[in-house]
Amino acid sequence: MTKSQLITIKGTKDGLVLRLDDHCAFTELLGELKEKVQSSVLEGVSEVQLHLGHRYCDEKDMNKIQSVIHTSPHLRVSKVHSDVISLKECERKLIEKQSETYIGIVRSGQVVKADGDLVIIGDVNQSAQVIAGGSIYVLGRVKGIAHAGAQGNKDAVIAASWLEATHLKIADKIEIMTDELTILSEQPEMECAYLQKNGQIAIDRLQELRYLRPDLATFKGGI
Amino acid sequence: MGEAIVITSGKGGVGKTTTSANLGTALALQGKKVCLVDTDIGLRNLDVILGLENRIIYDLVDVVEERCKVHQALVKDKRFEDRLFLLPAAQTTDKSAVNPEQMKKLVLELKQDYDYVLIDCPAGIEQGFKNAISGADRAIVVTTPEISAVRDADRIIGLLEAEEGLEPPKLIINRIRSGMMESGETLDVNEITTHLSIDLLGIVMDDQNVISASNKGEPVVMDPTNPAAIGYRNIARRILGESVPLMTMEKSKAGFFGKIKNMFSK
Repeated sequence: MTKSQLITIKGTKDGLVLRLDDHCAFTELLGELKEKVQSSVLEGVSEVQLHLGHRYCDEKDMNKIQSVIHTSPHLRVSKVHSDVISLKECERKLIEKQSETYIGIVRSGQVVKADGDLVIIGDVNQSAQVIAGGSIYVLGRVKGIAHAGAQGNKDAVIAASWLEATHLKIADKIEIMTDELTILSEQPEMECAYLQKNGQIAIDRLQELRYLRPDLATFKGGI
Repeated sequence: MGEAIVITSGKGGVGKTTTSANLGTALALQGKKVCLVDTDIGLRNLDVILGLENRIIYDLVDVVEERCKVHQALVKDKRFEDRLFLLPAAQTTDKSAVNPEQMKKLVLELKQDYDYVLIDCPAGIEQGFKNAISGADRAIVVTTPEISAVRDADRIIGLLEAEEGLEPPKLIINRIRSGMMESGETLDVNEITTHLSIDLLGIVMDDQNVISASNKGEPVVMDPTNPAAIGYRNIARRILGESVPLMTMEKSKAGFFGKIKNMFSK
C-alpha cells in the first residue's frame, strides 16, 4: 500500500510552496519533512512558503519545522501561512481593532491607555503618556510620549496633526526624538510614525499612510 | 456664603505665597472681607510677608485639633480694620497633621463669615496639596515664563481637572520680564496659555520692589504705582467679576530709556 504524501511541494512564481498535511501526527510530519528536504534535487537557494492548513503550531513547533527545513542549504522559509490562530491571539486582535476616544488635554504626568486603537482629540503635553495596543491618532499636538502597539503589534502607527513627541515607541522599539535625529522635520505637521521592516521607527507625511499601512483601513466598498 | 479659592503651582518658588498675600490685600482694598489660609504646614511664610508673624497665638493645626476656636486663631491685619485676616500654618509639625476632611470642614466654616477665603497651597503634589484643594471652590494656578514652571503647572492642572466640585482652574503668569519675553528668551504669554489651554486670569510683571515689600511685611499691592501691584489689582478686579483688559507690556517697559525717548519725541 502506498502511503499518501504528507508533504506536497509545488513551484509557483513566488518560489516553492510546501503544503504540510494537517491531519497526521506532528512527529510523522517532521519525519517526512526531513526526508524530503534531504533528498531534494535542489540547487542554489530558493525561498519556500509554508502552508500549514488547519494545523495550529505554536512557536516551539514552528521552530522545529524551520530548523528541519534549514538543514538543507538550499531552502529558506520566506512566509508561513496558516488557516488557524489561537483563541487568545484572536481575542487580542479583536481588542486591538477596537477604538477608544479621549477628548481633552493629556497633561504632564497623566497616562491614557487603550487596549485597541486610541483617538485623542486634544494635545498630549510634555511628560504625558498615551499608550495603545493598536494605533494612536491624535487630533492635536503630541509633545509627550506615545506608545503604539504596546502588546507587540509592529504594524501600529502613531499619527498626529503635530508630531513633536519626546519619545515614540512602537511595539518594543523606542525612539528618542533628539535634535540629532535626521528623520525629524522642521514643521512636524500632519505626520505619522511607523516601524520599518528593518526595525527602525520612521516618520512620514500622513498622506503616505495609505500606502505604508493599507490594512489599517476598515472602510469597505466603492464610491 | 463666600468663595474659597486655592492658589497653587506645583513648582516651588514661583510666587504662590506672594500672590496669595497680594490678592488677599487687593481684595480687602476693594472692600471685601478676606481670610487667608496658609496650608504650608512646617514651612509657613504667609505670616512673614503680611508682617503678622509676631501676632500669631494659635495656628491651623490647633484649630483642626480643636485646641481653640477658629476666631481665636485668626490674626487680624490692622491696616484693613476688619477686612483681612490670616489663619497661619503651624510651624512645628508637618503636612500630615491635617487631612482633607478636616480642611473641608474648616474652609466651610470660614466661608460663612468671609467673602473670600484664599488658600495658599504648598509646593508639590502630596498631602499638603491635597489638603489645600479639598475645601476650594475655585483654583488659581501660578506659573512663571519658565519651561520647568509651566511643566509643573500642567501637571497640577491635570490634577485639579480630575478633582470633583472644582471649577476649571485659572492661570496667573508671574514674574514676567518684558524684555526677555520680547526677545524670545522666555516663553511668551500666548505660548503659555495655548500650551496649558486654560483661561488667563492675569499677568504680573517682575519687579524688585516685590521682594523688598515682602521683606518689610507690607505687600507690594499697597503701592498703586508699582507695575506688579497693578497686575495684582487687575487680577483682584477680575476675581470680582469686572472685565479688565490685559496689561500691555510696553507700559511696564517705559523705564529709564522709555522716559528719555518720550522726552525727545515731544
